Amino acid sequence: MNRRTVIRSAALATVIGLSAASFASAENPVLKIGFVGVTSGPAAAWGISNQRSMETRAAWINETGGVRIGDTTYDVEIVAFDDQKDPKRAIAGMEKMAQEGIHYVVGPNVDDGAAAVRPVAEQQGIIYFPYAFPKSLYQAPASNAVLGMVANYQSGPAIYKYLMENNGVKKVAFVAANESDPLSQRDGGIEAAQALGLEVVSGSVTYQVDTTDFTPVILPVIQARPDLLVLSGVSPANAPQLIRSARELGYEGLISTETAQDAGVLQEGAGELANGFISVGGASTPELASDMMREFVARYTTMFGEYNDESNTKVYALEYILETLKANPAAIGDVEAFKTTMDSFEAPNPYMVGDAKLSYVGATSFGQKRQVSVPLVVNEFRDGAFQTLFVAQVD
Amino acid sequence: MEQILANGLYLGAQYALIALGLTLIFSLMNVLNFAHGQMYVLGGFVTYTVVGQFGLPFIVGLVASALILALVGAGVEKFLFRPVIARSKRDESTMLLAAGIAFFLDAVILLVFGEKQRGVPKIVGGVLNWDFRIIMPYDRILIGVLAIAMIAGFILFMQYSRAGRAMRALAQDRIAAQLMGVDVERYSMLGFALGAMLAGLVGGLLVTITGINLGMGGPTSIKAFMMIMIGGAGVISGAIAGGFILGMMESVGLTLLAAYGDITYLVIFASLMIFLAIRPQGLMGKPWG
Amino acid sequence: MRSILGVTAFLLAVFVAVPWLIAVSGRWDFYYTLTSVALLSIASAGVWLTFYIGRINIGQGAYALAGGYVSAVLITKAGFGFWLTLPLAGLFCAGLSVLIGLPILRLRGVYFAMVTLVLTEVMRLTALALPVTNGAKGITSIPLPGELSVFGLVLIPDFASLENPKLAFYLMAVTLMVLCYGALYRIVHSRLGHLCRSLQQNEELAASIGVNTAWLRILAYSISSFFGGIAGASFVAISQSVYPSSFQVADSVNFMLNCFLGGLGFVFGPMLGTLVLYFGWDLLFTTGRYQLLIYSSLLIVLMLVLPNGVLSLLDRKGVRR
Repeated sequence: MNRRTVIRSAALATVIGLSAASFASAENPVLKIGFVGVTSGPAAAWGISNQRSMETRAAWINETGGVRIGDTTYDVEIVAFDDQKDPKRAIAGMEKMAQEGIHYVVGPNVDDGAAAVRPVAEQQGIIYFPYAFPKSLYQAPASNAVLGMVANYQSGPAIYKYLMENNGVKKVAFVAANESDPLSQRDGGIEAAQALGLEVVSGSVTYQVDTTDFTPVILPVIQARPDLLVLSGVSPANAPQLIRSARELGYEGLISTETAQDAGVLQEGAGELANGFISVGGASTPELASDMMREFVARYTTMFGEYNDESNTKVYALEYILETLKANPAAIGDVEAFKTTMDSFEAPNPYMVGDAKLSYVGATSFGQKRQVSVPLVVNEFRDGAFQTLFVAQVD
Repeated sequence: MEQILANGLYLGAQYALIALGLTLIFSLMNVLNFAHGQMYVLGGFVTYTVVGQFGLPFIVGLVASALILALVGAGVEKFLFRPVIARSKRDESTMLLAAGIAFFLDAVILLVFGEKQRGVPKIVGGVLNWDFRIIMPYDRILIGVLAIAMIAGFILFMQYSRAGRAMRALAQDRIAAQLMGVDVERYSMLGFALGAMLAGLVGGLLVTITGINLGMGGPTSIKAFMMIMIGGAGVISGAIAGGFILGMMESVGLTLLAAYGDITYLVIFASLMIFLAIRPQGLMGKPWG
Repeated sequence: MRSILGVTAFLLAVFVAVPWLIAVSGRWDFYYTLTSVALLSIASAGVWLTFYIGRINIGQGAYALAGGYVSAVLITKAGFGFWLTLPLAGLFCAGLSVLIGLPILRLRGVYFAMVTLVLTEVMRLTALALPVTNGAKGITSIPLPGELSVFGLVLIPDFASLENPKLAFYLMAVTLMVLCYGALYRIVHSRLGHLCRSLQQNEELAASIGVNTAWLRILAYSISSFFGGIAGASFVAISQSVYPSSFQVADSVNFMLNCFLGGLGFVFGPMLGTLVLYFGWDLLFTTGRYQLLIYSSLLIVLMLVLPNGVLSLLDRKGVRR
């Protein structure tokens, strides 16, 4: 008994000693921005593209002398925590962020994690930017979460409407993985499709994320003969396989999703079968990308060997945090000031050509401005690259 | 109906091949190899690298996967499992080791091959369409046939080769085999290498169809556990039966229960539990594993 | 005498020394980490008890999830207070485990292990499918534990009114842990424990000398599941939300690994195992992308050096367990 206590206290003491060791100081004061998300295991792709976008941008900023907020120039440091897609770990991650004195965190990547960190974030004064869609996260009384992308219930209707008008789509089918996020997105999608007057011919087929052969999954869906097949909340790993199975079974209609995908993955996994696949992306298609976006892609590629198109949407959160802080330097240690600024904040969108703006939106969906305005760029996959189908805005 | 059976057969062939490796390792060493799925993923990535990155023919990739995984398997047995088994008081302790190896391989795969889904171009184009009763792409048929050929080859090897006989003897009774002059250490290592090699081969085969990503390891292990449970742990024929049964169950279940959507897998898993409760040793297993 | 001293030292450590160290060092995040360790070690204690009757249990996540949902549903739909739902969650899981255990406890060895592994997935899918669980959307915005008073005497204050609910959760978790391990220790050193040990060694022999093995197995399994339910319910109170993915296969596997790592021969093995595994991962957080690599390498090395668990160190020095 005694020995165990000794071991335990010794371990604890070591731990505290280790973690108290201070970091090497840079020339500029350091502004820490957190990331809590999944960077290992099955869903690693989501968090890794996220974390790497942030690290690329931070390195870029620091290389060019740092970011000037108020009267001080800061170097940006990204503190990342891998929550392994476990909500219990996500809480621990948020606590770590609070411990590091961080007030702005990007993530978590999934619904359960985003809901689980809410108590900690509100108590510790942390604004976080989840990539999860449940409305309750952003509606009052919740106030510390800011949706980091376009939600499926916003992009879905826009896509369906476009396809109804331009391609004469009448019948639609939905397939989703049997996990919280995709199922919620499927339900939202069905609701939106019915509201638009579309006929939902199949909406109950689900699959395990670890499926290795999607033919049996897709077969009953194809037999319902839809004009449009929606892959709700599909992960980039499953998308090419689903597309391939559907096409090989002779499906000739349209296929779409409301999540971001990677062109390289689609090309490798489905090749020309993926032509015409519709997904939502950021602003890296040639028609829309600014020079800054192109440089971001180049820097990301140099730093990590290979770009990930999912980062097109994930580049924004950090930019929003920094730009909002620039607009109101007092917010650097005070999230209430940040919230006040959110209502009126506006800055040019550096990643897009033209006069697009960065601003906070979401009044329609959430009753308060708790969403970053990312251009809703709907892409079509064609021969290994994305082409812009149309662009819309969320309010 | 034909389509459902064809899908089930194809699924079953790949499942059976995965389960074979796992059950071989289990029967020889009483080790539940949690890292089996990760070995499958590793095999897939090796083939991807050889075929997709270096542009070499598919068969080279497959051979590379088999060789590398056999080496990994042999190394894992010799340097990790053997010393731990020799010193641990309870056989089950190797589960922690196996899980550690699974985490380790996950980490290595993430660092070396990245987080993205990977795939190689189709090795044969075209789709077989038999009057819309069976629609099956040719590459799928090829992979299915290859998988079945490998299963047949494995059975022949176990049945007629000297090493195969030795391993079967080892699986039946380790001590008796040792007394009869079977080099236990050598054949344990060989068996582990062979099991890992099978996992790698499936990975290599499937990378042309389903592709590969680092998340597939853990779930694949669990699926393989289920298959050997259905058939009976440690029995070669049981693993094959289990693989085909699970493949058929998924194919039929997904079609029949499509209308009920969310509960398809619940029904599959629950019926599996009920089956085991009725027949605790699987279809053809030794009682009490 | 020694053991009384040990217990006192332990209690002082967790109730006084840890809060003091945290206050001194300012590492407030350790409260949550240690709370997690305490709660996870309760669930692991349950797994350990099933090991004790010779069953490898990889399904504790299922009961933790069920317990979490019982508590969440009772609080949000039936208006119960958290403190009442806590034992109810445990009892529900114990009852559920009797139903599930009756057929599956006949299985042994890897068969039992694998069927419990499937059980976790079954529970997740059930939570997704049932209407009462709110399916994929989960149950969110669950209120914090309220006041607990007996005859007007406030035993536990309302957590929402506290300045530092983290400390309150820590004390709650540690108290639960102490109670559970106390109970476990009592069980193992009672007649029941001896009977369980006889099951672990040879079930047929035990049955032949008149031990009611079926009853014993069910009893041990339901106690184990009770622990799982309590741990799950407590976690839900902290995160104020529960999703079908709140406890997954990975959690079930971890509970089992905790037991192995601490040592199967020692009542307090799972506690130490949880501390090492959970805290270890947390500490390696600074190593960034190499976190998993280092963590798994350490795990393998530890296994090579101490194949019978960390506490087997004590064995060599001749200390009794």
